[in-house]
Amino acid sequence: MLRTGFLVSLVAASIGLAGTAHAQQKTVYMPAILELSGAGAVSGTNFRDGMLMAIDEINKAGGILGHKIETPVLDTQSDAGTSRAQLQKVLDNNPYVVFGPVFSGSVLVTQLMTMKAEIPEIVGGEAAAITQKNASYVFRTSFGQQFSMPKIANYIHDSIKAKSVAVVWVNNDFGKGGRDNFTKEMKDRGINVAADISTEVGQADFSADVVKLKGANADAVFVYLNEEESARFLKEAKKQGIKAPLIGETTLLGQKVIDLAGGAAEGVQGHVGLTVDAPIKAVQDFAAKFKARYNYVCDHNGIKGYTGVYFVKYVTEKIGKFDGKAFAEKAHGITITPQEEPGILMEAKWDKNGDIDRESFLGEVVDGKQKIVKTLPMLSKK
Amino acid sequence: MKRFGPLSVAVAAAAAIGLPFLLKPFGVYLISMWAVLTIAAIGLNLTLGYAGQVSMAQGAFVGIGAYTVALLTAAGWPFFPAFILGGALCFVIGWLLGYPALRVQHHYLAFVTLAFNTLVFLVLRNEEWLTRGSYGIAGTDRPSLFGLSTDNARVFYFLCLAILILLSAATWWMLRSPWGRAFVALRENPIRALSLGLDTRRYTLMAFALGSTLGGLAGGLYAPLVQFIEPGSFSLNLSFNLLLMVIVGGSGRFFGPFVGALIAVLLPEWMRVAEGYYLIIYAMLVMVLMVFCPSGVIGLFEKAMKPKKPPAAPAAAAIKAEATPQ
Repeated sequence: MLRTGFLVSLVAASIGLAGTAHAQQKTVYMPAILELSGAGAVSGTNFRDGMLMAIDEINKAGGILGHKIETPVLDTQSDAGTSRAQLQKVLDNNPYVVFGPVFSGSVLVTQLMTMKAEIPEIVGGEAAAITQKNASYVFRTSFGQQFSMPKIANYIHDSIKAKSVAVVWVNNDFGKGGRDNFTKEMKDRGINVAADISTEVGQADFSADVVKLKGANADAVFVYLNEEESARFLKEAKKQGIKAPLIGETTLLGQKVIDLAGGAAEGVQGHVGLTVDAPIKAVQDFAAKFKARYNYVCDHNGIKGYTGVYFVKYVTEKIGKFDGKAFAEKAHGITITPQEEPGILMEAKWDKNGDIDRESFLGEVVDGKQKIVKTLPMLSKK
Repeated sequence: MKRFGPLSVAVAAAAAIGLPFLLKPFGVYLISMWAVLTIAAIGLNLTLGYAGQVSMAQGAFVGIGAYTVALLTAAGWPFFPAFILGGALCFVIGWLLGYPALRVQHHYLAFVTLAFNTLVFLVLRNEEWLTRGSYGIAGTDRPSLFGLSTDNARVFYFLCLAILILLSAATWWMLRSPWGRAFVALRENPIRALSLGLDTRRYTLMAFALGSTLGGLAGGLYAPLVQFIEPGSFSLNLSFNLLLMVIVGGSGRFFGPFVGALIAVLLPEWMRVAEGYYLIIYAMLVMVLMVFCPSGVIGLFEKAMKPKKPPAAPAAAAIKAEATPQ
């Protein structure tokens, strides 16, 4: 009896009784739910580190509207169901905004809840579907696939001048979304998709896929995989002597992939939405600060986390209060320049759906480093 | 059941009814998840714990039930017919999955069921025309019951709890019927059971079918609880997690799945105070529990509450001393 009573009280205490109010004296509660374990750990960790760096800088300078930012970071285990539970946990404490998740599947489940609660959600997900569901409280920190894929398609059509292309993609919501948008863009430009190869999350052996690729004999190969899988694929492609240019979108040219793939990443080309190698001083200064603080090179997710916090700071100072609804109204259609807010690093514009527009880059891997060869203008300034 | 007594059950029932009034929505969500996963674990306990048939496919049945409800309710079906159809579909598929169990046992059977789980995952992911593939299905509505909406987290929890109580009572009744005894006989000594005239073939298939049905019914509640399902949610990880619940709680013990699900759902949340180390600590705690208490938490309680042997009477001790060679 005593044991049962103790167990019940322990259970009740562990899941939080309704009476435990959240202390908010001169702080503003802006929690983060991120992929710190599981398949998305590399992306989530980078996002977290960039985000925490920005928060420290802002807090040292006095916070937002005189309030210090309080950001507990909760792990989603890269799982949509866990993301939903963790979001519910933070919603119970009435947050001003929520940062994350990065995985698109997790964003798709959480954005319905943040919309209902009228809490802005600053996400790292890139699946096109995120901003096509009328979720008026979700804001991206990087291009959605519906904006990045036309850019990579133009590159393949205009620069590579390919007549046929093979696509290798990871079969999850991220990869499937990218593949669907990419093949549509290829069709629009009259480029034949000679091979359409789906791969598994966490796949270790790409030999059979590369054999299929060789058989397709395409003019170019578009690779849309997660970091570790990208590196494994590149090693196998080099081993089997694939001659066609290997084209990627942001991830394939990321420093993490280059480090893991070693020499096999040499010559990889593609479109890069965000990179610390961008020929922009503010971005390079950020990269140096990040490296000094964490002792590793930041990838695009780190920039998403960092700029996401400054986006919240700028909009909040414009509306002059911590009001999620007013934030969402002000943020739709806003343009932020580095002159107005240095932490935004590059000029950025958010449209009525929460999609972001900013400059992007074409790059290639040279001597174990990503080299930017061309800067592409903002879509809205073309 | 006898060991835990009606008083303990009454306390647990009072807690299950009273807790949601003390908890915030997150707490209510967690105990709803506990109720749903307990139903699935009861099913696995029936197949594995009582009938001794190793199954690594319970997660797949949760998925089949969840997709049945999500797709049919999206197509305009009312919740309860879809919920029952999900369970019925799992009964049929579980029965068919039982056929390999007539030929192979133990780890061979584990691999057969594991392959089935992977097959279901691939169907859910690749058959986009039916399941919407990797994008998953968002926004499954919570049902209305006699005109009362269960949109509210607390109301939906009580629906899950009511279904859990109903299914638990049915399972408890069945385990005390000749069927339950037949399942245990199947586990303990199938050859002897056969020699006593038990139709082991029928009971093996029935053990799979009933366990799978409970998995499917749990899935039918999972879809409106989480309101987003995707193939990855029903991969091998969920089957392993359900297996963990049964083993940690106490395999072949009626209350094992209740306690096992409580640990699997709540322990990782308790451990979050350890931040980056919480999953490591959780894994270590489970390992320690299994090393020191292979019969699970319920087994540990049974051991602790077992009446100790009374010390030998003085006369008996004297006789024993005399009998001992000097």
